[in-house]
Parts: sequence; structure tokens; C-alpha cells
Amino acid sequence: MPSQEILKEGFRRGSFESRILSGGTEPDPRFTLANERTFLAWIRTSLAMLAGGIAVEAFTTDIFVPEIRKTVAVLLLFLALIIGGGSFFRWLNVERAMRRNAPLPLPMIAPVLAAGGVVVALVFIVFVIMRPA
Amino acid sequence: MRPPRDSKTNPEHMDTGLQPERTDLAWSRTTLALIIAAAIFLRWMPHHGWFAGVLVTAATATAITINLTRKHRFRRAVLGINNERMPADLISTGSVASSVVVLAAAGIFTVLFLPLQ
Repeated sequence: MPSQEILKEGFRRGSFESRILSGGTEPDPRFTLANERTFLAWIRTSLAMLAGGIAVEAFTTDIFVPEIRKTVAVLLLFLALIIGGGSFFRWLNVERAMRRNAPLPLPMIAPVLAAGGVVVALVFIVFVIMRPA
Repeated sequence: MRPPRDSKTNPEHMDTGLQPERTDLAWSRTTLALIIAAAIFLRWMPHHGWFAGVLVTAATATAITINLTRKHRFRRAVLGINNERMPADLISTGSVASSVVVLAAAGIFTVLFLPLQ
């Protein structure tokens, strides 16, 4: 019977996984699924930054001098890397907090995303202002 | 909560919040985002050749793997709702996050160290 299967799977879980999840008890499955969807929303944000970074490097060779192009592309790709990696640790920390019934941690990747967006926008603004007409 | 009738072929649940379906859709939106990233990576192929091809393949392979394991995750979520307990999906989240991190790192490497041809 499948329901027994999944229960056993839960008990069978190796010490590796339970060590990563830091003990506690499994929360309501709805919360676990909500946490997973939030993680995926962050991953898609990271993928948008990734696509933006690749696009800047691929499509703007006629518009930007190489320095600006590379700076913006690397900034966006770096943001994608930080948010992509950070989203996993956010997911893990939320899961751990839920298992211990503790308050949920603040999203540290949110200010990173905001600051990164501001820096990229500033580089573009400076470029537009400095560009010879 | 009603136990699943024949959840092997017809997974059913009584969750009015439609949690398994919403989670499944979130995963498929993520595959679409990966395909878009792969499509833009294609633009690097004339400049960076096989290395860009590897990035296109990696992003596409991640999307395909997510799609192939969708049914398994949906079933797991339905059973989790029915049993009122479900282990967190560490492997799915961990592998997607690592794949995005590797793609971004490879992108940075390409921009900084591989000259445009």
C-alpha cells in the first residue's frame, strides 16, 4: 500500500538527511509544500538574473563598450549565483525552523536582490548620462 | 481525511488548498525559465562554441529531469497530504539550486576568461 510505503520512507531516511534537517518533527505537509514553492519562486528570480546576464553579454556588443558590458553581465550572473545558492539555504533554514516550531528566519537574499538591482540600474543610468549624444 | 483509493493510477486528496497542483505548476514554471535561459545561452554558441553548447545542454537537461520526475513529486505530495506527514524534498531542491549555481559560475567564467570569437 502506497501510504505505508511513504511512511516507511520517512522512517528509513538516513542519518545524513536528518542531520541536514536538524531533527525536530515533520511540519504540516502544506507548509513543506509552501516552502518548496517559495524556494522555486526564488530560483526563477535567479534564473531571470542568469538570463539577463547572458543576454547583456550576447546582445549588446554594438551598444556598450566591453568594460560596461562585462561589468553588467558579471554583476547579473553573480546575483544569479548568490540568489540561486541563497534560496537553497533559505529553504533549508525555513524547513529547520518549521520542524522546531521556531519563528521563521528573515530572507537575507531579499536585500541582496534589492541592492543588486539598484547597482545594475545605476550602472545603466551612469552609462546613459555619460554617453556622447 | 479519506485514504487514497487507488493512488497508484489515480492519486486523490481532500486538500481544498490544491497544494500538490500548485507545487507541480511552480515546478513547471521553473522548467520554462530554464528553457529560456538555455535558449539565450544559444546566442553564445557562435562566440564560444562547444563550451556554450555544454551550458545549453546542462540547462535543458535540468529542465527535462524536472519534467520527468514531476509525476513522482505530485504523488509524493498527495500521499503526504493524505498521511499528514511528508519528508522535505532535499534532493530536488538541492539539485536544482546546485545546477543554477553551476550555470551562473560557468557564465561568469565565460564572460571574464573566454575571449569573444
